Formats: sequence, structure tokens, C-alpha cells
Amino acid sequence: MTAAALVPGRERTDEDEVAVRIDALTKRFGSGAAALTALDEVSFRIGAGEIVALLGLSGSGKSTLLKHVNGLQAPTSGGGTVLGTDLATAKAAELRALRRRIGFVFQQFHLVDRLTVLENVCTGALGSLRGPRLGLFTYPRPVREAAMDRLDRVGLADWAFQRADTLSGGQQQRVAVARALMQEPRILLADEPVASLDPESSGQVMRLLRDVATQGRLTVLCSLHQVDVALSFADRIVGLRRGRVVMDVSTAGIGREEVMRLYREVGADPEDPGALPHHGGGAG
Amino acid sequence: MSVQTRPDRRRSAKLPAREERRRTVARPTPAGLGATFALLLCVGGGVWAFAELQLNLATVVDSAGNARDFLERMLPLQFPPVGELLDLTWQTLAIVIAATALSVLLSVPLGLLAARNTTPGGSVRSASRALIVLARAIPDAVFAIAAFRVFGLGAMTGVVAMGLHSVGMVGKLYADAFEEIDEGPRDALRAAGAGRLQQIAGAVLPQALPSLVATALHRLDINLRVSVVLGFVGVNGLGYALSNAIARLDYQEAMGIALVVLLLCFAAEAVSGKIRRSLLREVAEAPRAGVLRRVVGRRLAARTGAGRHEPVAAGPQGAGTRRRTSPPWDAGRVRRAVVTALTCALVVASGVRAGISPDALARGAESLLPTIGDFLPPSTGGIGDMLLENLWITVQIALAGTLIGVVLALPLGALAARNVVPSPAVARFFRSLILLVRGLPELVLAIVFVVVTGLGPVAGAFALGIGSVGLLGKLVADSLEEVDPGPARAVLATGAGRGQIFFTAVLPRAWPTVLAHLLYTLDVNIRSATLLGIVGAGGIGYDLLNAARVQQFDVVTVIVLMVLAVVLFVEGLALWVRKVFA
Repeated sequence: MTAAALVPGRERTDEDEVAVRIDALTKRFGSGAAALTALDEVSFRIGAGEIVALLGLSGSGKSTLLKHVNGLQAPTSGGGTVLGTDLATAKAAELRALRRRIGFVFQQFHLVDRLTVLENVCTGALGSLRGPRLGLFTYPRPVREAAMDRLDRVGLADWAFQRADTLSGGQQQRVAVARALMQEPRILLADEPVASLDPESSGQVMRLLRDVATQGRLTVLCSLHQVDVALSFADRIVGLRRGRVVMDVSTAGIGREEVMRLYREVGADPEDPGALPHHGGGAG
Repeated sequence: MSVQTRPDRRRSAKLPAREERRRTVARPTPAGLGATFALLLCVGGGVWAFAELQLNLATVVDSAGNARDFLERMLPLQFPPVGELLDLTWQTLAIVIAATALSVLLSVPLGLLAARNTTPGGSVRSASRALIVLARAIPDAVFAIAAFRVFGLGAMTGVVAMGLHSVGMVGKLYADAFEEIDEGPRDALRAAGAGRLQQIAGAVLPQALPSLVATALHRLDINLRVSVVLGFVGVNGLGYALSNAIARLDYQEAMGIALVVLLLCFAAEAVSGKIRRSLLREVAEAPRAGVLRRVVGRRLAARTGAGRHEPVAAGPQGAGTRRRTSPPWDAGRVRRAVVTALTCALVVASGVRAGISPDALARGAESLLPTIGDFLPPSTGGIGDMLLENLWITVQIALAGTLIGVVLALPLGALAARNVVPSPAVARFFRSLILLVRGLPELVLAIVFVVVTGLGPVAGAFALGIGSVGLLGKLVADSLEEVDPGPARAVLATGAGRGQIFFTAVLPRAWPTVLAHLLYTLDVNIRSATLLGIVGAGGIGYDLLNAARVQQFDVVTVIVLMVLAVVLFVEGLALWVRKVFA
């Protein structure tokens, strides 16, 4: 996304340009005294084609937020609109339709170990196919060919007929990206995609994610826990602390130290957003 | 216990006076005492059953004469003409294979409904679990009695009876297998917008497949062993020929057929054991065996193939060219394809041989309710006292059989454990011995003993005793080998002898597991003792057969419930004892 999108105060209401809009989203687990507030009045917007990194300590609500964006969890109050679908009111079928347009990359890859790489990639197309599929040949040939194309894209076409568990962690994550690309997504969500990878594989995966996002003009929301990775990967950083957005800055011209403050207790009132950089990125 | 009424003295106080006798044995807990007492009661019950059933040396000596007599009458073995024998064998195999296939077909959906992670709802799950438990509780002989009403004499009855009963084990193990999968891949499919069934087919079934196949093979083995008993209630095949031969006192042929059954069981065990082991090992380079592959038409081509975004289609061969999208035909794929095709062909051929037709199945479904009606409400038919008495005999047979099994299996199992005996060769020898015994179907044993010792409980107890050696010996050896070797090394380092090591460092650690296996064996034996009664080995199984013959199906229900109550009691006891000693 261009830097213009990050200019504070610019009004954009066109659904085409705002891919994700989260409004005062609150999520509580449990009830009564034992209730845990995972997300507390979270609001932000992501413009179409923007690459956003989500930072915060473990337990700050990153994963929960991602699961709300594709409707895997329902908000306790508040909500938002993703690709024109209202998260709070959408029916199950509408949410499923939404998920088809959103790719999701997991920390633990989540491939079926025993299946071939190609079949794993094919499963990404399930949302647009009707009925259950069991075995590579139950996928129509065009789907299989598309899957081979995706494997080319992530540089693993030669591995298509290997079992998924014969691949290294970094390779498996690239297969998972290929699987997500099968959906021809408009949005790509990633939940700590490189947290269990070595630095080299992790660099490969992040470069791949950035490349496919810019080439396909995908909107990306990716939770990370390495500040350096986030700075080189994203256009913008959203920081969460205890379920609240406490930082929202463009990566252009911001230093590592400034972002690191997210992880420290700041000032007398750690929940005071004013203590942290907050450019009001996206459309305020 | 009365000694323990004095309050304990604290160690930190000064040393107790000599005459006060410091405690060197832990104070017993009520639960521990109770469990010990229960176990002693079981052992005592076994010993007492021995006396009651007159299972003593004298009987054995008496029987020795019989045995000689029997050997004379049974040798030389006679076999039916080769053509007939092959036909009988194929019929038995067909019934067993078709029945196992039926149980798999029923168990996959039932298991999915019963598994925590795939069930659509709590009540559906409970209902499915209840069905599975029910299928396990009703012996296949009883299912056969019911199925006769619908399908008459014939293979179909055997298929339905064994198939339904097998669901009790297969369904449960399938549900377990589904629950054990890694949920991650499924979450991934869900996040990609896949529907419920798509998630199950795409992520759950492929992960569970090896254990599904292994379970089916295991059940195939078991079904082959119990298929003999169905012959006694009238299902065609080797068992039927065997029961006829016994009925006309033609022991030469009876034992000839028994030998064939035995060899068949050994062969099946060898083949399925090999496949199961390789499945469980499942080397990474061997991709899945595609059992349910099915090529689907291109109707979705337009929807998914066309109109994709260009940037991602930058493969070296470019978009549009046809390229390889199926795995190469390497040796592994050829082998898998051949095995899959052969398996399918075998199952289909078995179904045809067993006379399964949609027609017959529809008839079965139709008469399901009326047939269940025949069995309800339960009634003792005025012979309640006799039933109780015979149930008691069945329990005695099981107790005595288990006792024989324990006495033989504990030393055998210990000798078969690699970490107990000095040389691996010895362990291997005893392992093979146990495996050999394990291969003997109890029913064949029972028939041999019925012939040797005459009709009655003695035959049953001996058959179960030897049968238990196979089961228990293996379980004991396994649990001894699983013991952490550290303490044994520590005791060895103190200069202890082999026997001391065994009793201080190995046996105590394996004891709770061994105990659980003992009670499990008792549980299995009570079920088996019921079936053995059908072939003439005494106890309540005989009443079961009689009630079926005179069509008193309500009495059949009562008998099933009585046996079930005893089995549940033993299972509860096992659970409790295990908890106490764990």
C-alpha cells in the first residue's frame, strides 16, 4: 500500500478501499468474576492492499483478534466489517463465504502429515468446491493444476508428490502459504507464521508473504513477535496490550526502540495510549 | 490392623524405646485394604471354583484315559473332500470378511458421531456411544439368533450378527482414533471456508486412516476366531461342519476341521499382524494407501479452474499447458494400488459369496423393529433359579480359567520379558511360545476339551485357562518390558542378584498394570465363558442356546442382561482396584 493510506485524518469510507474495519470490538471469555477480557474496545481499519503487523506480548489478544477478522470467533460486543461482511450480524453461511476469501497461515503450518504436498495444497480450494473430498483424485484436474501453479509460486513444485512430513519446517510453511493462495484470497491473515522457524527459513517465509501480498494486492494482517521482522515486513504496526490497541504507526521512519516500548510498562498508567506512538493509521 | 490404634510417634522426637517397636510398614488405608480384600476374594473364588467344579488332579488323571481314547478315535484325522473343504473355508472367510467390512461401514459414521471433536452435538454423541456399548454387550451368537428370524439359515445371518457385534469394538476404537487426531489441519480447512464434511474428509479421515485399517484387520482376526461359534448356532461354514461332525460323534473329521480352522487363524494372524505392524510404523516415505479414492468429473472445472489472478500463475511451464498432477508410478504407488484393488475385489467377492444384496438388507431394516419386539420385555420364562445357578457356574468357569491362566502366564510372561531373563534367546523362545498359544482359538480348545473331559464346566475352565495364557502372558511380558530400567540398574549396582532385582525393581513397578490386565482377563473370560457354553462347555451359554432353540427370545434377553451385569461389576471393580493401586 502506498504511504498515502497512512496519512492520518484521510477519510475513506469506500468498502473497496477499506478491507477490514473493526469497531469497538470486545471479546470476553467466561462470565462473572472469572471473565477474561481478551479484546477491549478494539478499533482500527486496514486499507485494501495494506500490510499490517500485529505486535504484542503473548496473551495480549493477537490470536483472538485474528480469529475475529475471519469470523472464527464471535465478538461479545462491537464488531466490524470485513470485505463488506458485518461480523456481528453475519449468519454462519455468510461467515463461511467470507472465510473463503481470507487465507490463514498458522504458526504450526497445520498440514496433514500423511498426505502429499499437492493434496494439502488442493485442500485450500475446498471452500469453493462442493462436497467432501478424500484423496488427490477427487479434486478436479483444474484444481490440481492450480495447486501445481501455487507450488511453483512458493518454489516447491518438485516436492509435490512427497509426503508433507518429509519437508522441513520452512518448506511446510511455504506449502501452507500455497494452500492459502488456492483460495485466491483478498485478505491474508497470519498468526505468528515464523515463530517456530529458524532465522533463515523465517526470512524466506516472510519475503514470500510480502511478495505474494504486493503482487496480488492482498491485504495482510500478520501477528509477529520479532520487532525487526515486523519493521522490514509491514507498512504499518498495530500494537496490542491487554486486549487494547496501544500503538498504531507506520513503519516508515520509526525506529526499533520506539516499537520496543510496546513491550515495556510505560509511565504511571501503562494503559494510556498517549504514552506510545499512535499515528491513527488507516482511516481514523 | 488392631496394632495400629496407638498414635504414631514423631520421628523428630527422640528415638523410640526399643520395646515400643517403631513402625516399619506403612499404615494401611481403608481403600487399599478393601482392594486387597477384593483381590483375595477373586483368588479365593478361583480356588473355590476349582474345588466346586472338581478341577483337580483326579479329574485330569481320569481324563487322561479319555484323552487316550479320544486320540485313538480322532486319528487318523479326516478331512472333507478337498473341493468341499475349500468351499467351506471360502464360505467362512467370506462371512468373516463381509462382516468386518459391514462393521467398518457402520463404525465410520458412528465413530464420527461419537467422537468429541466430530460429533454434531452432545445428545447425538451420547446416543452413538450407547449404541456402540450395546453392540459390544450383546454377543454375536445372540445377534445371530435374532438375525435368523430375518434372514433364515445362511451366510447373511453370520454377516449381520458378526458385523453388528463388531461395531462394539470397531466403533469405539474408531471414535478414539478420531479424537486422537491433530486438530490443526482441520482448523486450517475451517479457516479456509471448508464445510463440516469437507473438514472431516480433508483432515480427520486421512489422519486416522492407518489406525482405522489396523483396527479393521485386528477385528478380522477376532471374527475369524469366533466364527466357529456361529456354526454351532447354525451359520454355514467351517463351524457348521464342525458342529455337525461333533453331533454325529465323527471325531476324526471334527478334529480335521478344527485343524483347518487353527491353521486359518494362524495364517490370518501372521498376515494381518505384519500389515498392522507396518501401518503403525508407517515410514515417512510411504504415502497413504488411498483406500477411498474416487475420480470425480469435471463439473467444477469452470468454477475453480478459470479466472485466477495472473501473478500467482507464473510456473515454468506457464498456465494452460497440461502438466503432471498425479504422483509418478513408482514402486510404492504400484504396490499400494495393487493392494487396494485386491482388497476391494476380496471384499466384493466376499459380499457376493455371503449373499449380501440390497434386497436382503432392505428386508433386514424392515424387520428390525418387530425382531427387537420379540426380545422384549425380558422374562425369565419361569426358570430364573436355574439361570442364576448356571450364571454362577459361568462365573466359576471364568474364575477358575483365569486362575489357571494367571498361574501359568505370570512365570511365562516374566520369562518372555527381555529385561528379566539373562539371554534374549530365552525371551524370544518364550515370546514365540506365548504367541503360539495366543493363536489357538478358545472355541477350538473348548471343543477339544469337551471331547476329552466330556460336556461340562471342566472343559470350559481348561479352555479358558489356556486361552488366558496367550492373552495374559503377552500383556505381562509387555508391561514388564515397559518398566523404567533406572531402578533396576540402581539395585544391580548394590550387588543384588537377578531374582532380587526382579522382585524389588521390576515387578513392583509393573504391578498395577499387571493387576489391571488380570482383571481385564477375568472380564474377557466371563464373556467367553458364556460363548463356550454354547459349544457344550457348561454354564449359562447352554441355556442361551436352548432358549433360542425353543424361541423364548425374552429369556435370551434376560440371560444377556445377567451376563452384562456381571461384566459391568468386574469392570467397575477393575477400575477401582486400578485407581487404588496406581
